[in-house]
Amino acid sequence: MNRLPVRQLSWGALGLAVLFILPRFLPEIRIHLMTEIFIFALFAVSFNLMFGYAGQLPFGLAALFGVGAYGTALVFNHFPGIPLLAALLIAALSGAVAAAFIGFFCVRLSGPYFSLSTLAFQMFLYAVALKWRSVTNGDDGMGVVRPDLHLPALGSISMRSIHNMYYLTLIVVTIGILACYLFLKTPLGNSVVTVREKEIRASFLGYNVFLIKLLAFSASGVLAGLAGGLFVLYEEFVATTSLDMNMAMTPVLMTVIGGSGHFLGPVLGAVFYLMLQDWISSLTSYWMLLMGGMFIVVVLYFQGGLISLLKLDWIWRLRNRGNR
Amino acid sequence: MKTILGIEGLFKDFSGLEVLFDLNLEIYEGERHAIIGPNGSGKTTLFNIITGLYRPSRGKIFLFDKNITGWSSHRIARSGLSRSFQIINNFPKMTVYWNVRSAVVSRFNRRFNWTTILDWDKEIERECDRVIDLLSLSDVRDVPASELSYGKQRHLELALTIAREPILIMLDEPTAGLNSEETRNAVQLIRQLTEGKTLFMVEHDMDVVFNLADRITVLNYGRILATGAPDVIRMNEQVKKAYLGRK
Amino acid sequence: MGERLRETVTGKGMLMGFPIEIYAIQMLHGLVYGMLLFLVASGLTLVFGMMGVLNLAHAAFYMVGAYFAYTITRYTGSFWWSLLICPLIVGALGILIERFLLRKTYKGGHLGQLLLTFGLFFIMGELIRLIWGTAPLSVPAPQILAGDVSVSGMTYPIYRLFILGFSLLVLLGMSLVLTRTRIGIIIRAAVSDPDMVGALGTNVPIVFMGVFGGGAALAAVAGVIATPFLTTYLGMGDAALLDCFVVIVVGGFGSLFGAFIASLMIGELQSFGILWIPRLALIFQFLLMAVVLIIRPTGLFGEKE
Repeated sequence: MNRLPVRQLSWGALGLAVLFILPRFLPEIRIHLMTEIFIFALFAVSFNLMFGYAGQLPFGLAALFGVGAYGTALVFNHFPGIPLLAALLIAALSGAVAAAFIGFFCVRLSGPYFSLSTLAFQMFLYAVALKWRSVTNGDDGMGVVRPDLHLPALGSISMRSIHNMYYLTLIVVTIGILACYLFLKTPLGNSVVTVREKEIRASFLGYNVFLIKLLAFSASGVLAGLAGGLFVLYEEFVATTSLDMNMAMTPVLMTVIGGSGHFLGPVLGAVFYLMLQDWISSLTSYWMLLMGGMFIVVVLYFQGGLISLLKLDWIWRLRNRGNR
Repeated sequence: MKTILGIEGLFKDFSGLEVLFDLNLEIYEGERHAIIGPNGSGKTTLFNIITGLYRPSRGKIFLFDKNITGWSSHRIARSGLSRSFQIINNFPKMTVYWNVRSAVVSRFNRRFNWTTILDWDKEIERECDRVIDLLSLSDVRDVPASELSYGKQRHLELALTIAREPILIMLDEPTAGLNSEETRNAVQLIRQLTEGKTLFMVEHDMDVVFNLADRITVLNYGRILATGAPDVIRMNEQVKKAYLGRK
Repeated sequence: MGERLRETVTGKGMLMGFPIEIYAIQMLHGLVYGMLLFLVASGLTLVFGMMGVLNLAHAAFYMVGAYFAYTITRYTGSFWWSLLICPLIVGALGILIERFLLRKTYKGGHLGQLLLTFGLFFIMGELIRLIWGTAPLSVPAPQILAGDVSVSGMTYPIYRLFILGFSLLVLLGMSLVLTRTRIGIIIRAAVSDPDMVGALGTNVPIVFMGVFGGGAALAAVAGVIATPFLTTYLGMGDAALLDCFVVIVVGGFGSLFGAFIASLMIGELQSFGILWIPRLALIFQFLLMAVVLIIRPTGLFGEKE
C-alpha cells in the first residue's frame, strides 16, 4: 500500500492549478458560475458523506446548509467587525451543532424514516425562517455586505470583486473537500463505513452505532454549514430559499446524477447541474423538469451516475468500497 | 473456580410466547462449555440475550461479577465478550483484510480516532495480518467476503470473533454446514484459539461437543435439563429421552 | 383558519383568554383538519404497510387532485364533477407510476425507492408549477354547501361539516372494503405476506398496482374536498408531506389505526396551536414528533421493525 497516492495528488494539483489560472481567461459571469459550482460541490460532497459512505439519505441536509447561511448572515449583520474567517468557522460550527441536535432525534431511525424526519426538521426550520420576520426578515431575506478579509501577511483584501471571492471560495472548498476525504481515511471514517455495512455485526464488535451515525451526520453538518456560509457571502443575500424543498433536492440531484459510488462523483454532479442550469434555463423554463427526468433515469438505469458512465473512476481509484 | 459468566433466574418471553424459563447457569473461567438441545429450545435466544441483543423478561446476567443485564451489545462486546453467528454475519462487500481490520480497530479502541490515517497504521496492519494468518485466510486477504467459499467464510466469522482478544468467546454453531474434514479442522482451530480462554458454544454436532467440551448444558423447550461433565450428561436418563435418544 | 373565531359569544366563561365556546369550535376545526389529514395519510400508510414503500410522491397526488379540481370545476362549472373525475385521473396516474417506474426499484431496496419517489414528488411539483402557475388558486364551495349553520349559538361553515361527513363516509367505505370484501381480505393478506399470497395464486403485481392507485385516488379526493376550504397553492404539497410524516412518525409506520389517532391529534394541535400561538403553530407538531421519536421511535401504534 503506497504511503502517498502520488498519481492522484499530481492530478489534483494540476486541477487546482488550472482552476487558479482560469479567472484570467473567463468573463466575469463565468467566474460567478464557477464560484457557485465550488460551493455546491462542497454541499454535494457533504451529502454524499451521508449517502455514499454512511449509507443514509438525509433529505433535510439543506437544513444545515440553511443554518450555516442564516448563521453567517446574522453574525455579519449583528457583529459587523467580525473577521471573515471567524464567520465561516461559525457557519461550520453551527452546522455541526444543528446536525448533532437533529441527528439526536433522527439517526436512531432507519432508512426512509431517517430521511423523512430530517426533511421534517428542515421544513420546520423553513417555517421558522419564514415567520420569524423580526430576525430573519421572512421570505424577503437579508442582505449581507462582504467584509474585507484580513490576513496577517497580506493585509486587508477586499471581497467586493468576484475574483477575490472566487479564490477564497476555491481555497475554502478545497480545504473542506480534502478534510472530508481525509476524514474518511481515519479510523472514525472507517467506523462510519463499518457501521453502514452491517450495523449488527459492528455493534457486536464494540461499535456504538448510534454515536457513530450521529458523528457522521455532524461531520456532514460541518461541511453543509460551511457551504451555506460561503453561499451567503457569494450571493450577498440570504432568504428562505436556502432552506426550501428546492434546496433540499439540489444535493440529492447532484450526487445521484454525478455518482455516489465515488468520492468525486458529487463534484461532477455539481458541475453538470449548474452548467446545465446556466445553459438551459435561459432557453426554457422546463429545465428543472429536464433535470428531474434525468434524475429518474439515473435512479432507474444508471445507478453509478455520470462518473461511472464516463469511466473516470479507474483513473482515480478513489472508489467508495462496498457501495451499491 | 472463578465464574466468568453468571445467569440468574432468566426468563424470556416474546409478547406472550414464552421461550426461556428460569435459567440458572455458571460458566467457569478457562472451561469449554457447550450448550446443546433440540431445535427451537432457545439456545440462540439465550445467546442473543447474553450479548445484549434482547433484554430478558426477568433475571440477571453477570459478566466478571458485573451486572450486564440490559447493557447494549457494543458495551458488552467491549467488556471482553465476543460472539460468532450461526448464519454468516460478516461485512460482505469488504475484503477479508478490511473485515478483520474493523475488528482490530475496535480492539485497539481507535473507533473514534479522527487524527490518523488508518491505512498508514503499521501496528494495526501487523495485527490484522497476524489474525489472518492464524485463521489461514492469507490467500484470500484481498477478496471480498461475499466471494469466499463457505468454509473460508466460517473462518472469517471466527476471525472476527477472536480479533478483539475476548476473554469469553461465544460461538453459535461454529461447524454448521461444514463437511467432516472441515469440521475436524474447525475443532482443532477452536481448541487452539480458545487455549487459556473461556469458551461457551452452541453445537448440534455431538462429536464436536464430546471432543471439545469440559462441561455440557442441555436445554430443552427453554429449560435447563442438566449441566455437567460429558460422561454424566451421556448417562442422564432425562437427557437421553429428550435429546440424545432421538439422534 | 382562526379568523372567524371570536364572533358571537354567549359569555359562558373564559379560558386562557378565550371564551369556552371557542374551544368547541376549535375542536371541530381540528376534527375537520384531522380527517382531511387522515384521508391523505391513510393512502400512504396502506401503501407502506402493503408494499414496504414509503411513497414520498403521495403528497403530490394530493396536490394534483386539488389543482385538477380547480380546472375541472372551472370548465364544467360543477364541483361534483371534480369529485368524481379527479380521483379517477390521479388513480390512473398512480397505477401508471407503479407499473412503469416504481416496480423497477423493488429489488434495489429502500434507497432506490426513496430517491425515485422523491424525484417524482419534485417533478410533479414542477409540472404543476409550469401548468398552473405560481399564484394561489381558489375554488368556491358548491352552492348547496356554502354558508353557515348555527351550532349552539355560534355559526359554523356548512362546508367544513361536509368535509367531516364525507371523510367519515370515505373511511367507512374503506374499512368496509378492507374487512368485508374479498379484495379487501386479499389486500390485507398481501400486507402481511406478499409471497404467500402470490403462491396462493393471487396476482400480486395487480394488487400492488391497485392499492397504489387506490391510495393515490384517496389522496386526490382529499385534495378535491380540501380546495374550497384551504386555498390551492404550490406549497400545499410540501405542507401535506410534512403533516403526513408527522402522522406516520407519531402514529406508527404501517398502522392505519395509529395514523387515524395521530391525524386527529395533529389536527387538534394545529387548531389550538393557531389559536394560542398563531405564527408558530407548527411547533406543537414538532414537539409531538420529537417526543414520540425519543420515547417510542416506532410510533405510538407501530410495530417494532
